[in-house]
Amino acid sequence: MNQRRLPLISGEWIDRSQPIEFTFEGTRFTGYVGDTIASALWASGQQILGRSFKYHRPRGILSLANHDVNTLMQSGQKLNIRADVTPLEDGMTLSAINTFGGVMGDRASAIEFFSPFLPVGFYYKAFNSKRLFPFWERLIRNMTGLGQVDFSTPHIRTAKRYDFCDLLVIGAGISGLSAALSAADLGADVVIVDESARAGGSGHYQLGNDPLQLEKTNELLSAVENHPRIRLYTQTQAAGYYADRWIPLLDRDRFTKMRAKTVIAATGAYEQPAVFRNNDLPGVILSSAAQRLIYRYAVKPMNRAVVLVANADGYRAVIDLITNGVTVVAVVDLRESSLKSDVAQTLEQQGISIFLGYCVYEARANPGRDGVSAAVICPIDVNGNPQTGFRQTIACDGIVVSVGWAPAANLLYQAGTKMRFNKRLQQFVPEVLPSGVFACGRVNGVFEFEQKLIDGHRAGLEAAAHLGFDSQIEVTISPELESPSHPWAIVEHPAGKNFVDFDEDLQYKDFLNAAQEGFDNIELLKRYTTVGMGASQGKHSNMSALRILARITGKTPGEVGTTTSRPFFHPVPLSHLAGRGFTPEQRTPLHSRHVKLNAKFMLAGMWQRPEYYAQSGKSREECICLEAQAVRHQVGIIDVGTLGKFEIRGADAAEFLERVYAGRYSKMKIGTTRYALMLDETGVTIDDGMIARLGAEHFYFTTTTSGATAIYRELSRLNTLWRLDCGIVNLTGARSAINLAGQYSRDVLSKLTDLDLSSVAFSYLAVRETHIQNIPVMLMRVGFVGEWGYEIHVAADSAPALWDLLLEAGFEYDICPFGVEAQRLLRLEKGHLIIGQDTDGLTTPIEAGLEWAVKMDKSFFIGQRSLQILAKRPIKQILIGFMLDPNFQGTPPQECHLIIHGNEIAGRVTSVAFSPILNRHIGLAYVKPELAAIADLISIRLSDGTIVSATITPTPFYDPETSRQQEDVTQLQEVTV
Amino acid sequence: MKLMTCPINGSRPISEFFYGGELRSMPDPNMVTDEVWADYVFHRNNAPGIKCEWWCHIPSNSWFIAERNTLTDEIIHTYLWGEVV
Amino acid sequence: MIRRISPNHDRLQSLNGTWRDINGMPSLVSIPGDDRIVANLGIADLSFLTRFGVKGAGAVAWLESQKLEVPDRANTWKPLPDGGIIARLGLTEFLIEDSLHSSFALRLAEACQSVPAKVYPVLRQDAAIVLCGKAIQDLLRQTCSVNFQALSLAEHPVILTLMVGVSVTIIPILPDRYRIWCDGTFGAYLWETLLTIAQELGGGVVGVDRLI
Repeated sequence: MNQRRLPLISGEWIDRSQPIEFTFEGTRFTGYVGDTIASALWASGQQILGRSFKYHRPRGILSLANHDVNTLMQSGQKLNIRADVTPLEDGMTLSAINTFGGVMGDRASAIEFFSPFLPVGFYYKAFNSKRLFPFWERLIRNMTGLGQVDFSTPHIRTAKRYDFCDLLVIGAGISGLSAALSAADLGADVVIVDESARAGGSGHYQLGNDPLQLEKTNELLSAVENHPRIRLYTQTQAAGYYADRWIPLLDRDRFTKMRAKTVIAATGAYEQPAVFRNNDLPGVILSSAAQRLIYRYAVKPMNRAVVLVANADGYRAVIDLITNGVTVVAVVDLRESSLKSDVAQTLEQQGISIFLGYCVYEARANPGRDGVSAAVICPIDVNGNPQTGFRQTIACDGIVVSVGWAPAANLLYQAGTKMRFNKRLQQFVPEVLPSGVFACGRVNGVFEFEQKLIDGHRAGLEAAAHLGFDSQIEVTISPELESPSHPWAIVEHPAGKNFVDFDEDLQYKDFLNAAQEGFDNIELLKRYTTVGMGASQGKHSNMSALRILARITGKTPGEVGTTTSRPFFHPVPLSHLAGRGFTPEQRTPLHSRHVKLNAKFMLAGMWQRPEYYAQSGKSREECICLEAQAVRHQVGIIDVGTLGKFEIRGADAAEFLERVYAGRYSKMKIGTTRYALMLDETGVTIDDGMIARLGAEHFYFTTTTSGATAIYRELSRLNTLWRLDCGIVNLTGARSAINLAGQYSRDVLSKLTDLDLSSVAFSYLAVRETHIQNIPVMLMRVGFVGEWGYEIHVAADSAPALWDLLLEAGFEYDICPFGVEAQRLLRLEKGHLIIGQDTDGLTTPIEAGLEWAVKMDKSFFIGQRSLQILAKRPIKQILIGFMLDPNFQGTPPQECHLIIHGNEIAGRVTSVAFSPILNRHIGLAYVKPELAAIADLISIRLSDGTIVSATITPTPFYDPETSRQQEDVTQLQEVTV
Repeated sequence: MKLMTCPINGSRPISEFFYGGELRSMPDPNMVTDEVWADYVFHRNNAPGIKCEWWCHIPSNSWFIAERNTLTDEIIHTYLWGEVV
Repeated sequence: MIRRISPNHDRLQSLNGTWRDINGMPSLVSIPGDDRIVANLGIADLSFLTRFGVKGAGAVAWLESQKLEVPDRANTWKPLPDGGIIARLGLTEFLIEDSLHSSFALRLAEACQSVPAKVYPVLRQDAAIVLCGKAIQDLLRQTCSVNFQALSLAEHPVILTLMVGVSVTIIPILPDRYRIWCDGTFGAYLWETLLTIAQELGGGVVGVDRLI
């Protein structure tokens, strides 16, 4: 084991005093604290770390930068473990995903032989058959998938939090650290984040064995760590850019919503692979990955390397390899000439062949197919085409690739940055940045070490200036001496398997085919080939795809353009996104009373309301029925505290109400109440309630529970707009309301108050303010459920005491608490409609039978003008009451069942219930006016198609003469229909 | 998350606000034809551009006007109704 | 005296604390262990304090006529003589809360029986909470998007915002003492939510005797 572990490397991330035991695919391995899974496995000589998505080809380390999707693993219940960056932990039992029979002998790799039959666009073409799709689906589900879900995995929620800073620097590499220091020194409060376990970025590993660079990096890092105004968060991802510099920061434990006043993207660049046959073999590795292996984890990447280069970074990598014991047998430079001629000379003197103007044509696998055995190289012509006649084979066990970079500009794009393709640098760079957003370092096209320091400094100064700190910005950046990226590191091969996208197993010819089929625009190309749609989201493949499309279509990369960058930058666990889940809930002050009475609660909007009160041995329907009967026969009590309750005062109070409601209120006598109907501008009914006049300039009014918040908000807006002399106070939460209803309600109340409750002194629909045992209350005689009753409004903190008094006083009358369902039944027996149930978004007062509540001759009210127009037109439907046969057996209709007449829809049911007091099913429905004559029959169609016949009946069904509101009601009269 | 500046309470995330539609003046109902009234009630101008809109800061129930570029979502200015700009 | 019940009454009932009636409202005055919690992160229910609200264009003049010193800027507060608070909510609305030693609320409610034009009394039935301790910012960071640490407490700011989805009024009295008011019907939800988070942060319920 650990045959590739190097002797102590200065600054290494591993702690050799803390070994860790773990298993991979059933085999035991050892690593160290500080290792990632991939580095520990590679150190032990394990090269196959996973299998590719489509062809199940063996794959190893590519980037070690969180782009190595092919090395996704699973450990027990934990899914989506990214082996290249996930720290090794004790006891991990890892397995590769996406294999049949393990990573070493994946049977599904046989698919490769079928690859000619699995061209690009395969998914669209092959699985389109409706008949065959179920077969394909089963097959695909078995073969694909990136892990096995254990359904007993606990649901984890991690708390989110907010955070704030003056400047957020994303990326703690050279330029980022420099920027943070410059801004903090001028007084800014800075947060700097980096997704890696430690800060420093490439300053710690793209060394070219230069000790000065390492020293400078550590100096910067130390300054940042000790600066009082800088907070450094490592292992933290900036997952996206949202409006006004709102950036989600993700670390292992939580999701932080950071609001930054300015943002600097120092996010660097993704190293790009070269495209050649078998470039996906374990052992073909990006140069920065090789350098990370060496300097972070003290792992020798290979023994004998061929290094493919096209930039200065490549030569630095060669030196790093040689310094740490790797034999470099050849350097293959795609360019005809390079500036590193002195370095090249030194290398040649050491016996390393330099091949200028050459490419790697093909990587050869070793017999075990778990690594490289040789590189086949050949010269390339001016267009980058391989001259295979002159090829050579060089034995090696690894190919290191350093051909170019793509900027990690995702968050800049999301912020709305306009990018421009720089031909010299061969990369997109920011051209127009949004206000408050800055970029530095490689994402800004600056690659040289010293220049990155200066560029970071400049960005820090600009951010500080934007924040209002005094800063002189006079900084010049020297242009790059050589291009860091090659325009065409792609080599065609007749036998293919030269991969462009490793996540999706896309080869070079797949792009040619797609373009040929007409998908020759970057958006179409992406969706047809699926390039960039894998788990690394195109970080290593989008640029190559873009270059290929440019070449095919004869455009420049700038003209081809990029597809839209969207959050999240790296995957975000659902546990972090879920957070705690705040779901506000409202409770009336009487909630604990309902709990004690065994209420079954239901959610009405945000309110918890008793649906009914459970009694042992009785079903829900029985309980509701008993509650309703109690109200009809003796007395019931219900908490209606969820109603909207408002007070309006002022000289223009009446005028205001006249404008927003359809009825007339200005002439109401003090001490009376009136039904109030509210319409919108189109004449549609939107709410109803009661208006009570308490004084000449003082009204109190109620709305429905669900309408309260929106109505108060809109009335406030109208009050702002109209500037009438009045003020509206929202008492919905401040007051509780209780309905006491039934023939004994007056008896109960009279035990508690001195107020004269006779019908002469306190008539139907009157309002009185009084005291119940020194609790100030407002009483309204209401008729919603059709019995003598009072709606009692009281301050919330006194409601429990009042409830207790009422229950105590009502005990001798068998007072019965009743809930929402019983109330709905009782009101239906009276034919009272509920806005939103018996009306919808198009119902006008005419259709709902509420014309009596509309006074068209007022000077103005909302909806008036529209009603004038509607009055000229025939109405399409009208609300009627219906009853089923007295001896009806079978399934009764439900709300929304349709009324059918001659094979056409002629209406629908809005409310229906069985009335215990009438012993029949009753309901309300809309029907066409010509079918609405009393005693006519209507046909209601149930869900299964059965037709139920009903008779149109006048409403109210119960007590049509409203005798229950008159004096001398002592006994329930025989009710005939 | 987008920020909106309430003229009274200051800069807050947009989740603290309620959008109340474009600022439009109601024509005199007594003076307009049915067609003009129907146009006012049902039609809205959806063309992108700088619009004056009603917005409400929910926790304080403060209504105000925001001048907003509906194409770029840039909020240019917020002010209380009736204030001279 | 009328028996008043706090919106948080049920939540507190289940704790093993000592109770006392304050202003007619049963109130949790102490609970075992709260002396240790109070320095770290304590949450207590102050719904028993008497309160009065008023708004309108004439409110400033009327309050001054009642001999109160009114905060001159929107969203600021002033202490009242004898320890209460008068807060200006926005431009023309006011919340007056008494301490245990003052009775402005009662006096103003009586004076409100006949108010001049453009003065509108607002019945206040808040769930009132106090947070105390050094971990307050941790709790606020999990529940509210306002940057409280950027506020200058010397300016006596009043913040009207959303906290865990509920409209609240927040006054930072001191860096380790914050007052929060919300509509009483949301009181149980707010209390329960804040308490759960406070407990995770090593805090909990404290009795009012610890604070007053």
